[in-house]
Amino acid sequence: MKISLNWLKDYIALEASTEEISRAITFLGFEVEAVLQTGLPPLENVVVGHILTREKHPNADKLSVCTVDVGPEHGGVRTIVCGAPNCNAGSRVVAALPGAVLPGDFKIKSSKIRGQVSDGMLCSSAELGLGEDHDGILILSGEPAPPAPGAPANAVLPAGDTVFDVEITPNRPDCQSHLGLARELAAWFKLPLNYPQVTFRGPAEGAPERRDLLASVQVDTPVECPLYSAHVISGVKVGPSPDWLQARLSAVGLRPINNIVDVTNYVLLEYGQPLHAFDAARIAGQQLRIRHAHAGELLTTLDGKARELEPPTLVIADAEKPLAVAGIMGGETSGVSAETTDIVLECAVFKRQSIRRTSRRLGLSSDSSYRYERGVDPHTSIEAAQRAVDLILATAGGAGQEGQGGGAVVGPVYQIGGEAPWQREVVVTHDYICEKLGFDIPSADMRAAFESLELRITREEPTESRGPAWTLAIPSWRQDLDRPIDLVEEVLRVYGTEKIPAGRVVSPGLLAEDAPAVVFNRRATEFLVGHDFQECANYTLRSGKELSTWVSQTAAAELALANPFVADQSHLRPTLILGLLDTLHLNQSRGTAVQRLCEVGRVFVESNGQNYECASAAFIIAEDGARRWLKREPADFYTTKSLVAALAEMAGIDFARQPLQLAAGGELGWQEGHAATAGDLGKQGWAAQLGLLDLALVKSLGIEGQVYGGSFSIVPEKLAAAAQARRRFAPFSLYPTTQRDLALVVPAELPAETVRKQLQKAARAAAGTRFAVEAVSLFDVYRGPGLGEAEKSLAFSLVFRAEDRTLTDEEVNAAFQRLQDELLQGSGYRLRS
Amino acid sequence: MQHTLDQIVSAARAEFAAAAPLPSRAEFEAAKARYVGPNGQLTAQMKKMGTVPKEERPALGKLINQTKVEVQALLDAALARIEAAELRASLGPPIDPTLPSPDLGRGAFHPLTAVREELSRILRKVGFTVADGPEVETEYYCFDALNTPADHPARDTQDTFYLPPAARFANVAKKSPQEQYLLRTHTSSVQIRTMLKGQPPIRIVSPGRVYRRDTTDATHSANFQQLECLYVDKGVTVRDLKALLDYLFESLLGKDTKTRFRPHYFSYTEPSFEVDLSARHLPKVNKEWIEIGGCGMVDPTVFADVGYDPEVWSGYAFGMGIERIAMLLYGIDDIRYFYQNDLRFLSQFA
Repeated sequence: MKISLNWLKDYIALEASTEEISRAITFLGFEVEAVLQTGLPPLENVVVGHILTREKHPNADKLSVCTVDVGPEHGGVRTIVCGAPNCNAGSRVVAALPGAVLPGDFKIKSSKIRGQVSDGMLCSSAELGLGEDHDGILILSGEPAPPAPGAPANAVLPAGDTVFDVEITPNRPDCQSHLGLARELAAWFKLPLNYPQVTFRGPAEGAPERRDLLASVQVDTPVECPLYSAHVISGVKVGPSPDWLQARLSAVGLRPINNIVDVTNYVLLEYGQPLHAFDAARIAGQQLRIRHAHAGELLTTLDGKARELEPPTLVIADAEKPLAVAGIMGGETSGVSAETTDIVLECAVFKRQSIRRTSRRLGLSSDSSYRYERGVDPHTSIEAAQRAVDLILATAGGAGQEGQGGGAVVGPVYQIGGEAPWQREVVVTHDYICEKLGFDIPSADMRAAFESLELRITREEPTESRGPAWTLAIPSWRQDLDRPIDLVEEVLRVYGTEKIPAGRVVSPGLLAEDAPAVVFNRRATEFLVGHDFQECANYTLRSGKELSTWVSQTAAAELALANPFVADQSHLRPTLILGLLDTLHLNQSRGTAVQRLCEVGRVFVESNGQNYECASAAFIIAEDGARRWLKREPADFYTTKSLVAALAEMAGIDFARQPLQLAAGGELGWQEGHAATAGDLGKQGWAAQLGLLDLALVKSLGIEGQVYGGSFSIVPEKLAAAAQARRRFAPFSLYPTTQRDLALVVPAELPAETVRKQLQKAARAAAGTRFAVEAVSLFDVYRGPGLGEAEKSLAFSLVFRAEDRTLTDEEVNAAFQRLQDELLQGSGYRLRS
Repeated sequence: MQHTLDQIVSAARAEFAAAAPLPSRAEFEAAKARYVGPNGQLTAQMKKMGTVPKEERPALGKLINQTKVEVQALLDAALARIEAAELRASLGPPIDPTLPSPDLGRGAFHPLTAVREELSRILRKVGFTVADGPEVETEYYCFDALNTPADHPARDTQDTFYLPPAARFANVAKKSPQEQYLLRTHTSSVQIRTMLKGQPPIRIVSPGRVYRRDTTDATHSANFQQLECLYVDKGVTVRDLKALLDYLFESLLGKDTKTRFRPHYFSYTEPSFEVDLSARHLPKVNKEWIEIGGCGMVDPTVFADVGYDPEVWSGYAFGMGIERIAMLLYGIDDIRYFYQNDLRFLSQFA
């Protein structure tokens, strides 16, 4: 909210500089977003000028030479060169004479401009610090009378003020007002706070009660409107507010309207209590009723918009129709106008939730709703209303002001509801505060802090330790203070958070480790970066259209947000690959050669109607588009296989033992027959995809060349188990190995791993318990001449070793023969000769 | 005979002298045969031994042997030179060390990862371990347990991304069936999960992605990364919190770094502060304070809610945006660079 310094000075004798006040507000816990100067600061040698003549400058197209009457005491008529288009003869303007210093330390002196003497400067409003208008010089209004040449500019222009734009935290609704912030500053600067003197405390004895203007007030919804008061004021004279009131409102950015409305706004900004004035003549049936709107009721609010209401919107209604949306905005027709003579001043408390709901639903908010949403103090509401009555009588009370008869008269006053008297006490000890802070503050300072914040000490008792125990009466506007810990903050705020002494970090050893998912992320990233991948970070939210290239419609629907903000960020990402393809495309289109990209992060995968949040690591390898003097082997499926296997192993998955499925046509995103999948998220808690990315998809994204990729995802809970596994040492043989090779001719479509496993099984059976088959590994694949069309040859190397001796050729040969017999029998395989 | 042997040696010397042109392997083999082969000159001399009187044989034998050793040495040396030459020849011409490597450029961490890991490393030194939690959260962990009132604007669908009521996340447990899933708006939810799972003392740092329903511009991004610290123990104080932040930022930005606390309001800490930073050597923060994060002492309500006795346990929490720190550290002026992944940007921080 905007806080005027002049206004604050009504309540505290602030002598501090703008910077000091800004600092105080900041360290009291409110952010100062801006400090603005409004009005004219005190200026010397800046006076009203009357342009007598204007002629074109002989040496410059855009300049004019004016003769300006600046009054006899300033030398009468002076010649001033001016560049503004609007320095017309006859205008009353502001002239800065030599010796003047304008805002921004701009010193004015007599000078020659293109050979022409200029004895001062005609000022624009920007140059006077009054605004941003640079289009021309400021022309003074001739109303009501043209200002006299030579009069100080300060006498004819609004006085200066300093305005702090302060962000008030939601826990301090009491500071949504000048009084509230003044109270805080009084505590900070240790100054007394002077509350406004409220004189009206009720209708005067024997004053005529104008029940003919308002006969009844009825609250149908006491839960949502715990307090409603209405002061009837008859015989008001509506007109412009006095200058001081207009200046106050203008300074904080409010447009003065008329004396009644201005007073309600003034008290709102002074006390934080919203008020509303109805024209009594516009209240049908002379009754007010606070009720829920009926469905379909119409109300045109003050902003000129016709609104269709519906329950449970709270309205202030008369006998026929809603007059105002309660706590938010009045209606266009029931407000105070120039013809108004009698008013009903509303001062109420509405429940925060009700106001907030309505404000959201109507898309309508106001200074009033803003305060109701944050909460107003019901215990000071009536005081604020009485303050407003004072000000209305003073500014719109007509001839017989101050209750001397003939002028405005107050009465009747209605009040429905109201809270029980406020009472809250909190006990806190000096030691408790020091213990929470970790350093000592003298108890005298604490006492002073409480008192300056109007936390009245009702009891002070010695304790067994150093400092006393205080019982504090919490004022009604500080409902945020409820526990001893809340008072720790109050003491520290007033004491000054900048005085917290430096300390050392004390770090007792705790039995804890980094979370398994964190370890996996870190290791996976380090691994991929170590393998020349550039790590990327892409947005988690992707478009639904994009998702459909990767997962089924059903899965995409499961990953949709209920309330996306923009259309292309409507779904959770099911894979990191899509983002990496974006990155690849962006860099290719910007002419940057990119080959290896990776990302590690969360993905969201649908499996059998359930979503899983997974830790994931993925990479892509683009074709090397660069011309090079020496070519390297391009990446292929098996490059991705080795990388994915490493990622899986980091997550505790023994990837070598996991079956790999060749990607079929249904595997979205991957090229049929050139990619593979492993794992099952729903059943095993992890899944991997690897190989060539779908050619059509890659092409449709505008990417050049083929792209290989790999992705490994795992539910974090499964990582937890992996983290606990501790390796055990396995002893190994010190004797040499014996190796045999075997080439098998098998059907071409048979996976090599199937054959290898059969061979391994046969070899183990043949070796029995006598020695070990250490490895059965494939080293050659052949198709072509010498073999049938549907055949291929797989060559394996078998490594044997015994634990306790060097193997003899005889025993190995015998076993090798047995395993061949075993394998070839019935398998349909044959040896390649 | 002595004369003949001398001649053989000097012929061999001449033939295999280091200065002589290096013979090919075939030439060498032929030469070798000429000297020591079955029909070689030296062999021929040895065969003559039988014709020599018995008493001269030992002396002659010695002489022949000497000659043989000498010739063999010459042959061996020549062979070694030939083999060396052959190896050299097998390597082809010398390389040009100034040619560019055709290998891939090195990989590099994303700057946000680098900053995140740097912060984690600094905090790990003083006993923090890195905790983790889901990005899809429930209202309880993200708001209720953090003392956020039911009608708080942060919970509104205008500010927070929600998933439809029917969404099912098998590995993100709801506290109650009525709760809705949402994208966490801060990593504070990890604090709640960690506290519920374990017992104090607790000292964790939780970095990770968070989500706000906000317009993307130079300083706002639909997802960004936060890092939060939580310390729960007996007798934790405001001064401890200040000491941690001083340590953290001095470690990260250097000794001339200063922090200050401004009182503030968060629903889950009391007292609460905003933290400002100034560092003489960094542009932007060398003259004025800039806001870097929020912190405070864990509110007793939060402790009570996770079943810790607020009379026994106290603690502090601190949170900040990782992008903001990275922007400050590297002088980056637009948050969108981080998620655009232009390699000309990323490679600057390798």
